[in-house]
Amino acid sequence: MIALLGPEISWYLAVAGFLFATGSLGVLLRRNPLIVLLSLEIMLNGANLALIGFSRNLGDGGGQIFALAVMAVAASEVVVGLGLVVALNRKRVTLDVDRLNTLRG
Amino acid sequence: MIPKPHVDWFALAPVDSLLVAAGVALLCAVLVPRSWRKGVAAGVCGLGYAAAFGFGVALYVKSADGHGVVADAFNRDRLTALATMIVAGTGLLVTGVAYRERAREDHAAEYYALLAASGAGMAFFVGANNLMTLFLALEWFSISLYILCAIDRDRLGGLEAALKYLVIGGFGSAVLLFGSALVYGATGKLDFPGIAAAGAQDNALLVFGLAMLIAGLAFKASAAPFHMWTPDVYEGAPTPVTAFMAAATKTAALVVTLRVLVTAFPANAHLWTVAIAVIAVCSLVVGNLAALVQRGVKRMLAYSSISQAGFMLIGVSANSPLGGRALLYYLIPYTAMSVGAFAVVAARERELGVPVTFENMAGFGWERPLLGISMWAFLLGFAGFPLTGGFVGKFYVFAAAYEHGWTWLVIVGVLATLVSLYYYLGLVRAMFMRRTEDLQLAPIGGSPPRETLLQTAVVTCLVVTVGSFFAVQPLIDLCKHAVNSLPWGV
Repeated sequence: MIALLGPEISWYLAVAGFLFATGSLGVLLRRNPLIVLLSLEIMLNGANLALIGFSRNLGDGGGQIFALAVMAVAASEVVVGLGLVVALNRKRVTLDVDRLNTLRG
Repeated sequence: MIPKPHVDWFALAPVDSLLVAAGVALLCAVLVPRSWRKGVAAGVCGLGYAAAFGFGVALYVKSADGHGVVADAFNRDRLTALATMIVAGTGLLVTGVAYRERAREDHAAEYYALLAASGAGMAFFVGANNLMTLFLALEWFSISLYILCAIDRDRLGGLEAALKYLVIGGFGSAVLLFGSALVYGATGKLDFPGIAAAGAQDNALLVFGLAMLIAGLAFKASAAPFHMWTPDVYEGAPTPVTAFMAAATKTAALVVTLRVLVTAFPANAHLWTVAIAVIAVCSLVVGNLAALVQRGVKRMLAYSSISQAGFMLIGVSANSPLGGRALLYYLIPYTAMSVGAFAVVAARERELGVPVTFENMAGFGWERPLLGISMWAFLLGFAGFPLTGGFVGKFYVFAAAYEHGWTWLVIVGVLATLVSLYYYLGLVRAMFMRRTEDLQLAPIGGSPPRETLLQTAVVTCLVVTVGSFFAVQPLIDLCKHAVNSLPWGV
């Protein structure tokens, strides 16, 4: 295994944590379902970055394989999400999650 | 040349039979003529679940010594086998309940394909032995369930429920994934025994990761404070899907919570037992208090399922073989009662064509005595009355908490049970003590259609609910062998 080049693991973790926090704030605060789905992807990619950073730091391939699998899962999840947004849009519902209140939460 | 791991196909047989069923049911959508499509797809899905149940029984018998298979990614042990049996039994019953559900028939085959696929995901989830299979199986069944919620595109409620479930479920999975990444970073291992053996229990990364893993799993088990999606999604989803989510998803999530915590984090037990106990208390308080004010029966049952998750988590928090046994035993009557109760709600819903509330359940017990009496038994079972398995289940989880030295948890549980009597008995009262004529309600389509499959499912649930009270010893032995496949630190 090549010795770790570039920044230390803590920097990777900091960026990953920042991405994860940005994504979670987006999910919690934004109204547009498209942006919410985008934020979910950012959260998953933050976790991916952490996995890959750790994998490289530990010299173990497991984390990288995990990250590849997560990308496939994230893609299928966003496909379902976009499908739902399109179906809702066809029913002429405004794209604002605060207005989705037929079911009172 | 990359070495290929040996694949123990027998261990994967329940998952495979459900996957095959899902594939064949999906082919039915294009190959089978429209008039036959639903019957064939439902039959295939039912057969898949029956086969998975059979393989579960066979695996239980033949896996006395639990071990990892497929490069240690999957556990072949009795815990997996028992949880597979519960999930497959639930799926079989739900297939029966769902058969007469759909008003629009053009997606009937996809409906059953997704039902089988999500069952396959759960059967894989309960056997997960490393963080990767855990996450993949979690998303596998979750994505199937998101689509199942929205399968009826004409119902705005279903679409809304699906989008809410997807966003909050996706959030929960992302938290779980980040937790997995932190645990991996702290230990360098993805497999549960490896994480336990790494000896990094004081590492801050590991403790953070553990907390995020617990939160992610609690989202799926719909335990408070991670429950906010539950009432909306349970209300908006088609009722048979709700039954499946309440029974099977919760079973899978709770069994995996037990397995992950006991196998991968034995050295941090002093932290997670407290965390799980706090989540259990939150679920009991939130679930019971919110259920008190509900008028919609599905919402009431949703909050009741949150409080039931609280009771079952008490078993997990005890961190002992007794607690594990209590959890597994409790799951058997719980799944039967949930499927049964939602099936009765589905029957009433089809009769009236409107959402079922306490008001329009009036007189139901006299109109449809079989369903009425079954519902009565399910509600008493949820409340923990004797002559139902719910009583023994509650007794066992309290015994486990008491043995752990947590008398306060027993007291909270007993108080929660007392509060729950109000809404469970309230529904019984609505069904039996008011006359239909007072409400001027007429069934939409004349006399209700005979639904043999739904009634068979409800009667089966009734038999399991009551039978688990009388067959305590064999079931407890079953659970004991299953729980003994976990590496208890004693």
